[in-house]
Amino acid sequence: MNNIWGSMEQYDPVVWNWIIAVYLFMAGLSAGSMMVAIGLKWYRQSRGLPTEGLPVIKAAAIVGPISICVGMALLMLDLTKPFEFYHILLNYNFTSVMAWGVLALLFYIPLVFVFSGLIFEKQLLSLAPWLSGVAKICRKLENSLNKLIFVLAIGVGIYTGFLLSALISYPILNTAVLPALFLASALSVGSAGNVLVATLFFSKKESDCIEQVHRIEYPVAFNEALCLVLLFVGLNFSGPAAQAATAAITTGTWASVFWIGVVGLGLVVPVLASTISPKSWRHTKGFLITVSCSTILGVLALRHFVVYAGQSYIS
Amino acid sequence: MTKRYVLVHDENKCIGCQACNVACRSENNVPESVTRIQVRVEGPYGNFPNLHFKYNRVSCEQCEDAPCVKVCPTGAAYVNDDGIVSINEKKCVGCLYCVAACPYKVRFINPETRVPDKCDFCKESRLARGEDPACVSVCPTQALAFGDANDSTSEVSQLLDTKNHYQHKVNLGTKPRVYRIPSRKGGIKV
Repeated sequence: MNNIWGSMEQYDPVVWNWIIAVYLFMAGLSAGSMMVAIGLKWYRQSRGLPTEGLPVIKAAAIVGPISICVGMALLMLDLTKPFEFYHILLNYNFTSVMAWGVLALLFYIPLVFVFSGLIFEKQLLSLAPWLSGVAKICRKLENSLNKLIFVLAIGVGIYTGFLLSALISYPILNTAVLPALFLASALSVGSAGNVLVATLFFSKKESDCIEQVHRIEYPVAFNEALCLVLLFVGLNFSGPAAQAATAAITTGTWASVFWIGVVGLGLVVPVLASTISPKSWRHTKGFLITVSCSTILGVLALRHFVVYAGQSYIS
Repeated sequence: MTKRYVLVHDENKCIGCQACNVACRSENNVPESVTRIQVRVEGPYGNFPNLHFKYNRVSCEQCEDAPCVKVCPTGAAYVNDDGIVSINEKKCVGCLYCVAACPYKVRFINPETRVPDKCDFCKESRLARGEDPACVSVCPTQALAFGDANDSTSEVSQLLDTKNHYQHKVNLGTKPRVYRIPSRKGGIKV
C-alpha cells in the first residue's frame, strides 16, 4: 500500500528468518549429540561396560563438529557485515545473551574437534602423525574434557533458547520455558542424529547402537511436550497480547507446521513407533532411519515454528 | 547524566503532514527505501459525524532501559552521557539482534552502511550546534517539543507538568523518552 507516510517494509516484525532457524537447529543437534554420546559413555563406564568403538559415539564424533560448523557458517552469512564478524570475538557486552553464547561456542567448537579426534585417533594419526603428542595429552585429560564438553553443550543448547527469550516484545519468545524446550528438543534431535548416522555408517549388527539411546527418548519427548503445553497455557495468563499470540497454533501456516511437523513428526510418530510397532521391526535399519528422520524433521519444524510464529505476534 | 533529552508529541496539534519525516530524511541523508520517522495516520475512529484520526509518531523512543543496548553482543549499540541511544558503526557486525529486540520496531538496516540506523535526535549535527532536531524545527503546527526534562524551566518540563501524557508500551519497562499528549477525542490507546 502506498501510505502517505512511506513504505512499511522495514517494519516487518519478522527480523530473523529461516537461516537463524536452521542455525538454532544445527546448534541444538550438535549440543544434543555431544550430550547423548558423553552421557552414554558415562552410563556404560559406571556399569563397567566397554565404551570403545560404539557406533553411537562414533556417530556423535561426526555429527557434533559438522553440524556446529555448518550452523556457524550460516550464522556468519546472515550477518549484514559477514567479513567483520571478528568484532564479535573481540568485544563482549555481558548483558547480551549472544555474547555469552559466543563465549561458550568459542570453547565448545575446538573441544568438539578434540572429542572427535580422540574417537578417531587411529585414522587421525595415520593422516597426521605429527599430532601424536597433542593426542597423548588430550587422552590423559579425556575425562575432564568430556565433563567440560558436556557442560558447554548444555550451555550451547540452553543459550539458543535464551537468545530468543530475551526479545521482550514477542510473547511467544519472551518466556522462561523456551530455553528448557530448546534443551529438551536438542537432546531428542541429538539422539536421533546419532542413531541415524550410526545406523547408516557404523553399525555392523542391526541392533548394536540404540539400546541405551532409546531409553532417554520417552523422558525427553515427555519434557518437550510438557514445555509446549506450558508455553501455550502460560500465554493464556499473560495478558491480552500474549493471549492473542496463542492463535499461532490455531490459525495460519505456522499452525499446520506446529501440528504436522512439531507434534506429528517430532512427538507422535517416534512415541507411537516405539510403543505400538511390532517388536520384529524395531531394530531393522529401515525402521531406525525412518523414525530418526521423523524426529529430526520435527525438531527442524519446531525451530522454524518458534522463529517465525514467535516473531509474528508482537505485544 | 545531567541532561535528560525528551521529545513530546502533541497529538492534538499534529496534522500528519510528514514534514518531520521529510526534514529528517534530508538532514540525516536517510536512503529513500527506509525511514527514521513516520507519522502514521490511523483511523478514522468514532461514529459519524464525530470522527477523528490518530497521529501516531513512530521513531526511536530513546529508552532509558533500552532493550537494543542490552542485547547487542559487541556493545555497538550504546548510551552515552547524553542519554541518547547511539550506534558505533565500527563495532557492529550486523547480527540484527537489536532490530529484533526493539519493541517499537524502529531500528532498520541502512542499505548503504549495512548497519542499524534510527533516530538519534540529530545529535551529531543539529544538537551539537545547539539547535533542535530537524523534525522539531520544521513542524508547521508546533506539535513537537524537544528539550531537557531535568531543567524545570524547559518547554518540555512545562508540558509534562501541565498536560496529560502517555508513553508507548510502558509495561515492557523500557522507560521510553518520547511522550505523547493524547488527542482530546476518544480514549487513550497505549
